[in-house]
Amino acid sequence: MWTRKASFTFTGGIALILIGMMITNNQMMILGLTLITFIVVNSWVSGHGDIEVQRTLSADNLYKGDDLYVELLVTNRSNRRTQLLDVYDNIPHEMKLRSGLNQMRLNLRPGESARIRYVLRCPLRGHYSIGPVSLRVRNTFNLGVEDMYVDHHSDIVIFPQIKEVEEAFLRSRTPKMYTGATTLRTPGQGSEFYSLREYVPGDPFKNINWKAFARTGDLMVNEKCRDAVTDLYILLDSRDVARIGTVLKNPLEMGTVSAASLAAFFLKRRDSVALGIYGDGLAYLPPDTGDKQYFKILSSLAGVKPEGSMPLQAVTNSLSGRFSRGSPVFVISSCEGDGTVPAAVRDLVGRGHEVTVLSPSSIDFERLVSRIPRMSYEVLKLERQNRLTTLAGSGAQVIDWMPDMDLSQAIMQVRGY
Amino acid sequence: MAGEVDPQSDVSLMGGRARTLHLKALRKQWQIITLQIVSTIALVWMYLEVVSTYVVNSIDHTMLFASLEQLVGEVPIGDWLIGSGRTGLARFYVPIVLGLSLGGSMALLAFQSPRVQQRIKLGFIITLMVLLVGRLILTWIPSMLFSWDLRPPSESELKTLEWPLLMILSLVILFIYLLPVIMGTRGIWGLSRRSIGWAIGFTLLFLAIHAILTFPLIKSQLGDWGSNLISLESQVSDPTVGFLGFDLVTPEQFSLIMIAVLIMVFQESGFGVIRYLEYAYRLPESCKRDPEYVRQMDNVLNGHLRHTAGFLTVTGLVTMIALGFHSVLLEVVRNSTGSQWAAQVSESIELSLTYGLVISALLFLSLVAILRFFVPWQRVWGLIESMTNNQPEPVKEKEF
Repeated sequence: MWTRKASFTFTGGIALILIGMMITNNQMMILGLTLITFIVVNSWVSGHGDIEVQRTLSADNLYKGDDLYVELLVTNRSNRRTQLLDVYDNIPHEMKLRSGLNQMRLNLRPGESARIRYVLRCPLRGHYSIGPVSLRVRNTFNLGVEDMYVDHHSDIVIFPQIKEVEEAFLRSRTPKMYTGATTLRTPGQGSEFYSLREYVPGDPFKNINWKAFARTGDLMVNEKCRDAVTDLYILLDSRDVARIGTVLKNPLEMGTVSAASLAAFFLKRRDSVALGIYGDGLAYLPPDTGDKQYFKILSSLAGVKPEGSMPLQAVTNSLSGRFSRGSPVFVISSCEGDGTVPAAVRDLVGRGHEVTVLSPSSIDFERLVSRIPRMSYEVLKLERQNRLTTLAGSGAQVIDWMPDMDLSQAIMQVRGY
Repeated sequence: MAGEVDPQSDVSLMGGRARTLHLKALRKQWQIITLQIVSTIALVWMYLEVVSTYVVNSIDHTMLFASLEQLVGEVPIGDWLIGSGRTGLARFYVPIVLGLSLGGSMALLAFQSPRVQQRIKLGFIITLMVLLVGRLILTWIPSMLFSWDLRPPSESELKTLEWPLLMILSLVILFIYLLPVIMGTRGIWGLSRRSIGWAIGFTLLFLAIHAILTFPLIKSQLGDWGSNLISLESQVSDPTVGFLGFDLVTPEQFSLIMIAVLIMVFQESGFGVIRYLEYAYRLPESCKRDPEYVRQMDNVLNGHLRHTAGFLTVTGLVTMIALGFHSVLLEVVRNSTGSQWAAQVSESIELSLTYGLVISALLFLSLVAILRFFVPWQRVWGLIESMTNNQPEPVKEKEF
C-alpha cells in the first residue's frame, strides 16, 4: 500500500507534468517525470513478511506480580531480504513492559535471524495469550507500507499471589472424620507421641520429658504427631458486586489472593481443600490434597471473573450435603447485595461447621475510585457493621478486611483452626 | 534472575568494545556520517546546478550588488566574499562556503544547552545592535554632552549609520540567496526536519516562480527585466548526453534531471538520518545496549545507503531513458516499416515535441513498472547474497 508520501509524490509528479505541458516548461515536466520514475523504480523493491517466529517464555504459569521473560526468534526463511521490517509482538494490555522492547526494526538477509528479548510484569491474574506477531514492511524511502501478522500465540496463566499465612493463626481444632484415609507422620500440634528430641529454648515446659532427662542428664522434649488432616472448604464470592474498586484492588482480587493463600497453607499441611466459586453459576472443586489439587485451585482462581448474582444460600443448599461434618468453612465475600448470607451461615453453623467469613470491605474499596460524602460513608459503614454483627451473632467468626490490611493481619482477628 | 537474562548483561559476552545505540555513539557511526555527507554533497551540487541553470548571468547576487552599488555607492562587504569580479559559477564558491559554515554553526548551536543557546543569541543581538547604532551613539551622545545641548543627530553623525545598514542589507541579500544551503546544512547536521523542508521548499518555490515568470505571456510583460531571465527551450534539440553509446537527452535536460535527482538524494538522506536517530533515541536503555538491536541498525543503515546509491542512480538513468524513449520509438517506426504511414509518423513534429515526449516517457515508465512482475531480481540478489553469505556469529545467549 502506498504511503501518504508516495501518494503526494505521485500526485505531485502528475501535476507537475500537466502544468509543465500547459505552460510548456521543461523543468516542471522533467521534475514531475523524475518523481514518477522514483515511484516506479521503488516499486521494484518489495519487502516481505515471509518469516518464521519462535517465542520462548521463561514460564507457562506465573504468580501475579512476577516477571515473565520473553524471547522472540525471528528468522528469514525466504530467498530474499525482508527489507525494512518492523516486528511487533502483541502483548496483553494488562501486562507491562519492565525491560527491553517488544518490537524491533530489522532488515534480515536470507536465512538470517534476530532475537527480540523483553521482560513483562504481570500485575493481574488471568489466562492470557501473547501474540500474534505484527509485521510492517516498509520501503526504505517510506513510499510503501504493508501490514501483516504471523499467527503465533503463547498461552500463559497468571495465578493469584500467595501470601504467607502463619501456622499459629490457623490451627485445626477438628480432626478429620475419616481417619486413615491419609496417614500423617509429621511432627506438629497433636496428641499422639511422635519422637523425642533435645530441648531448644522456647519449647513449653510441659513438653519436657522428665524421665528422659533423669536418664540422660539432658533436657529432652516430647514431640507429637500432627492431628489427622482436615477438610477445608473455601467459598469464594465472584458476583458482579465483587468488582467494586480499582482493577488491582477490589474484593474479588483480594478474595482470590486469600483463597489461594489459604489453600496453599492447608495443602502444604497435607489437608484436603475444596473450593467453590459462585457468581454467574457455581464451580466446585471437591476436596483433595497434593500438588495437583493446588494447581487446579490456582487455575480456577486465575480464571475467575466478576459476574452474576448467585446467592450464598443457593450455594450452601447445594453443597452442604457434601461437606464433611465439623470441617471448617471459609466464606470469602464482601456480603454486599446478598440478603441470604446470614441464613446460609446460620445453616452451616447449625450443621456443626466452623464458619469464618472473610469479608473485604467493599465500601472502602469504592472509596478508592470515587468520592463518597462523609455522611454517606458513615451510614454505609454502619450498615455493613450491622450486617457483620448479625453474621457474628449467627455463630461465625467474622473478619472485616480493609483494603490496606495484609492477609496475615486480617486473619489475626480469629484464631483456633 | 532479572539480571541474568536482561539483554544488557549480554554485552559483555560479545568481547571487545561493545557498541551501543546511544545518540552520542550513533552520530559517529560511519553509515550515519556517510549519509550526512552524501546529503550535504547533494545539497551543494543541487544548488550549483540550479544556479548554473537559472541564476548565473541572469539574476545572480553579484548583479544585484552591482545594481545596489549604482544606487547607493560601494557596498561595505568585500568583493572576494560575494564573488564579484569572478565569472560564471565561481561567483558562488565563496558564498557557498560561507553558507555551509553558517548552517554548520547553526547546527552546532542547536546541540548546545538552552542556557548557552540563549547566551549566544543574546550576544548576536547585542553585536548586531552595536554594529548598527554603536558609532552613532559614540559620536552623537559625547558631542551633546560636551556642548551641553540636547539636539537631533547631525547629518555627518547620521552618515555613520550608512555603513552598518548597507552591511546588514548585503548580508540579508546573501542570506536570501544562500537560504537553501544554510537551512539544508542546518537540517542535515542539526537533525531538523523543518530546516530540510525549508531548503527543499525554497528551491521548489524558486523553480515555480521562475517557471511562471518565464511563461511567454508573462515574460513579455516584464520588459527588459524579463529578458534577463533564462528560459529553457521547449523545442527539444538533438540529444548528446547518454550512456552505453546511446544519446538520450540534451545537456539542458540532463541538468534538469540532475536537479530533480539531487533534490531527492538530499531529502532522502537528510530525512533518513533523522528517522533512524529518532528510532534509536526512542529505544529503551536495555535495547540500546543489546547487540541484536545494534546489528539490525547496521543492516537497516547499510540498506538505506545501498538504496540511496542504487535506486536514485537508477531513477536518474530511467528518467533519461524515458525522455529518450520517443526517439527510440520514432527510430523503430522509421526502420521497421516502409509504409507511407510510418514515414508520416516518423516525420510528425508533434511526436518530438512536449506531448509526444511525455506520453512516450510515461509509456516507458508503465513498461518498467509492469516488468517488475516478470523479473525476479530480488530473488536473484538474495541468492547471490546467500551464496556469498558471511553472516556474523550468532550472539552468545544465556539460557533462561
